[in-house]
Amino acid sequence: MYQLNQVDKRFPGVHALKAVDFTIGRGEIVGLVGENGAGKSTLMKVIYGAYQPDGGTVTIDGKTVRFQNPRQAMEHGIGMVFQEQSLITNLTVMENIFLGFEQQFVRWGVIDWKAMAEAARHQLRKVKMDIDPSMTTSKLSFAQRQLVELAKVLTLEERIDGDLVILLDEPTSVLAKEEVELLFGLVRELTSRASFIFVSHRLDEVLELSDRIYVMKDGAVVDVVAQGTAEVDRIQHKMVGRDVDKEYYREQKQKPYDPSQTLVSFDGVGVAGKFSEISFDLHPGEVLCLVGTEGSGREAILRTIFGLEQPSTGTVLVKGAPYARANAQQAVARGVGYVPRERKVEGIVNGMNVYENMTLSQMRRYASGGVLRIGEEKALAQHWIDRLGIKTPDVYKDCGGLSGGNQQKVVLAKWRSGGSDIILLDHPTRGLDIGAKEDVYDMVREMSDAGAGIVLVADTLEEAIGLSHTILVLKDGIFQKRFDGSPGDKPTLYDLVHHMI
Amino acid sequence: MSLETLKPYFPWITLGALVLLVGALNPSFLNPASLVSVVADIVPLFIMALGMTFAIYIGGIDLSVQQVANLVTVVATVYLAQFGVFVAVICVLAGFAIGAVSGWVTTRQFVPSFVATLAMGFIALSGARFLSGERALSMNAEARDASFGWMFGTTAGVPHELVIAGILLALAWFLQTRTTFGRALKAVGAGELAAVSSGLNVDRIKILAFALSGTFAAIAGLMFSVKLSGGDANLANGFLILAIVAVLVGGTPLTGGVGGVINTLVGTLIVVVIRTAMVYLEVDATMQQMIFGIILIVAIAMTIDRSKMRIVK
Repeated sequence: MYQLNQVDKRFPGVHALKAVDFTIGRGEIVGLVGENGAGKSTLMKVIYGAYQPDGGTVTIDGKTVRFQNPRQAMEHGIGMVFQEQSLITNLTVMENIFLGFEQQFVRWGVIDWKAMAEAARHQLRKVKMDIDPSMTTSKLSFAQRQLVELAKVLTLEERIDGDLVILLDEPTSVLAKEEVELLFGLVRELTSRASFIFVSHRLDEVLELSDRIYVMKDGAVVDVVAQGTAEVDRIQHKMVGRDVDKEYYREQKQKPYDPSQTLVSFDGVGVAGKFSEISFDLHPGEVLCLVGTEGSGREAILRTIFGLEQPSTGTVLVKGAPYARANAQQAVARGVGYVPRERKVEGIVNGMNVYENMTLSQMRRYASGGVLRIGEEKALAQHWIDRLGIKTPDVYKDCGGLSGGNQQKVVLAKWRSGGSDIILLDHPTRGLDIGAKEDVYDMVREMSDAGAGIVLVADTLEEAIGLSHTILVLKDGIFQKRFDGSPGDKPTLYDLVHHMI
Repeated sequence: MSLETLKPYFPWITLGALVLLVGALNPSFLNPASLVSVVADIVPLFIMALGMTFAIYIGGIDLSVQQVANLVTVVATVYLAQFGVFVAVICVLAGFAIGAVSGWVTTRQFVPSFVATLAMGFIALSGARFLSGERALSMNAEARDASFGWMFGTTAGVPHELVIAGILLALAWFLQTRTTFGRALKAVGAGELAAVSSGLNVDRIKILAFALSGTFAAIAGLMFSVKLSGGDANLANGFLILAIVAVLVGGTPLTGGVGGVINTLVGTLIVVVIRTAMVYLEVDATMQQMIFGIILIVAIAMTIDRSKMRIVK
C-alpha cells in the first residue's frame, strides 16, 4: 500500500538515493540494512517527510502524495520512532505522547489533564506499559522511553483514517537481550495495527523480525530478500560487495612499517561509557585502522589520543610518556595532528584564509615575540598549495569557500607542515568526490613513507582494508579481533563484517 | 556586485551618508574645527568600544565596561593626590583584573559572558559606591594638571586626546592583525571548535580578551575622570549602550570572527554623527537612549550570522 517508485535524492556532490523502489504492505515488517553511508537514513527521511525526493513518486494506496514536512507525513499515517529519542525528558509521559496535539483535550481554554491521562493510558496499553502517564519522562529507563515513543506514534491510529507505517530506527542498539525480545514480540503483535520498517546494524535481528529485507548499497537497493530465503552470508556480501580495485587504495605503495619504534601505546585503556580494555601500539609508517559501527568507540579512541578524552583506566603513552593533563595543546606539542570528521566545523576555521588556517596549530614557529612573520606564512602556504595541488586562487582565499577536498588538503597541510608524525584521520574522505578521495589516499601513503604513524577511522570498509597495515575491529567499545593488512594478505570485507555485527 | 560582497562596506557607506545628511542639515557641522572638537569629545567612548571589540570579536560580550569605568573614575579621583600619575597604573590593573575574572568565570565556570560580565559590573559598581561614599568627588585641580594636564593640550591644532586615541587604535590594530594573539582571537571567534582541534589554549585567549576589554574600559574611565576633573559611581552611565552600538554598527557581529577595531572606529564615528544629528534636530536628551536602543536592535538583527546560531534564548 505504501510505495516509493524510482525515488531519487541528490545532495551537493552526492547522489544519495538512486532510483529506489520500495514497497510495504499492510501488516508487513520490512527490514532495511546497509553499511554506513549506504543511504538508509536518507531513505528513511524521505519516507517520513523530512526530505523531499528530487525524482520519482511516493504513493499510498495508489495515490501520489508529497510531504513537505514530517507532520504532513504523520497525517498520512507515517510515524517515526527515533534512534536518538525525541521525547522531551522534563515533560510528563502524557505530555510527550500528545505533544503538538493537545488541542483535543482543551476545555474552556485549559487542558483537561484527566482526559489526557486516560487517553495516554489507552496508548500505553497498546505497548503493554502500565505506568502512571503523569510521570516525568526522565524517570523512565531507556527501554521504557522507547516504548513511550512507540506509543506516541501509535496515537496516529486514532487520529487518521487509513493504514499506519511506523519506522523503527536502530531500536535495539542500546537494549538488553530480554528487552529486545520484548520489543520484537510487541512489534509482531502490533502488525495488526500497523506496518513496520525496521532499520538496524544487527543483521541477525533484522533476519529474525522481518518478512522482507531491503539491502542497500551506495544509495541503491541491491537486493530484496524474503524471509526464509534470507541468508546472512548472502546479505553481507550484497551489503559490501564491490570488487576492490587495488590501484584505487594505492596498495602497491604500501610499505612495511618499522615495528622497532612505538609512537602511541595503549595498554588496557578505557573511557567510561565509550570503550574499555583497548590495547595497541602504533609504529612509524603504520596505518592502523579502527573498524566498527557507529558508537563502537572508534572516535573516542582518536579523541583520547588527541587529549580530548581523559582515560579512566589503563595507560596511554604518546612518544613514550603519558600526558600530564589531557588536553589538545599537549597532544599537538607531542606531534599529534587531528583531522576531524566535521571538517567544516572542527577541521578548518570558516572565515580564515588559507595561510591563517595552515599555521593555526603552529603560530609560534612563524612569530617572533608574538608578532607574526606573515610573509613566511604565505610562503609556507604557497609551498603546500603547490605540493598538494590545492585548488585556490591564492593564499588569501577564505577556506570556507574551498571545496571539501581542498579543505581537507589544507587541514592535512596544517599538520604535515608542522612536522606532526602521529596523524589521526576521522573519516578523512567523507563527502569527497572520487578524485579528491584518491588525493587523500596518496597523502596517506606519503605520510607513511615519511615515517608518520596514522590512526584511521575510515568512511567505508573497503577504504579501511585498502589503506591499512593493521585493522582492529571493535564492537560496543570492546576489542573483537586484530587483522594484519599486508598487501596480498588483506582480510576480506566479510571477515570484518562478521566481527562487527 | 552582490549585496553579500557589499556587506563589509555597509558601515563606511552608512558613515558617509550620515555625514552628508547632517552636513546638509547644518553646514557648520562640516567645518574642520567643529569636526575635530566633536570627535575629540567622544574619545573615552571610543576607547571603551575598542576594548569591547575584543570581547565581541571572540563571540562574547562585556557588559561590565561602563561600571569598570565608573569605578576607575572614583579610584583615580581618590588616589590621585597620593600616587600622582601612577594612579593610572592602578586604574589599568584594576580594569585588567576585573576583565580577567570575568573571563575566568566565563571559560572555567561556563557562565555565559553576558551574565558573568553583568555580575562583575555590579561588583565594580558596588566598589565604586563604597569607595566614593556615594558622593560625587572632585580632583584637586593642581594635582590633576600636574599629572594629567598633558592629556588635554593640543599640538599643532590636534588635541592630545585624539593622539591618545590614535595610539591606542594603532596598538589594538597591531594586536589584532599582526600577533599570534590576534590570530588566535579570530580563530576563536570564527571557529572555536577548530581552534581547539588545532591545539590552541582557547581558555587563555578568551580570558585575555576580556582582560583587554577591562583594561581599555579603565583607560576610558581614567580619561573621562580627568576630563571632568572628578569621580562618581554614576559618571560613565550611558556609555555602555553607545559602546555596544559602536562595535555592532561598525560591523563586528555578536557572533564574532569578523570585523575588528577599525570597524569600531567607523562605528564610533557613526554614533557621534547620529548623536550630533539628534542635537541639531533637537531630539530631547531623554529620548536619545531610546533611539540608540532601537539602532542597537536593528544593528544586531542585521549583522548577526544566523548560521552560527541555531537556538536563540
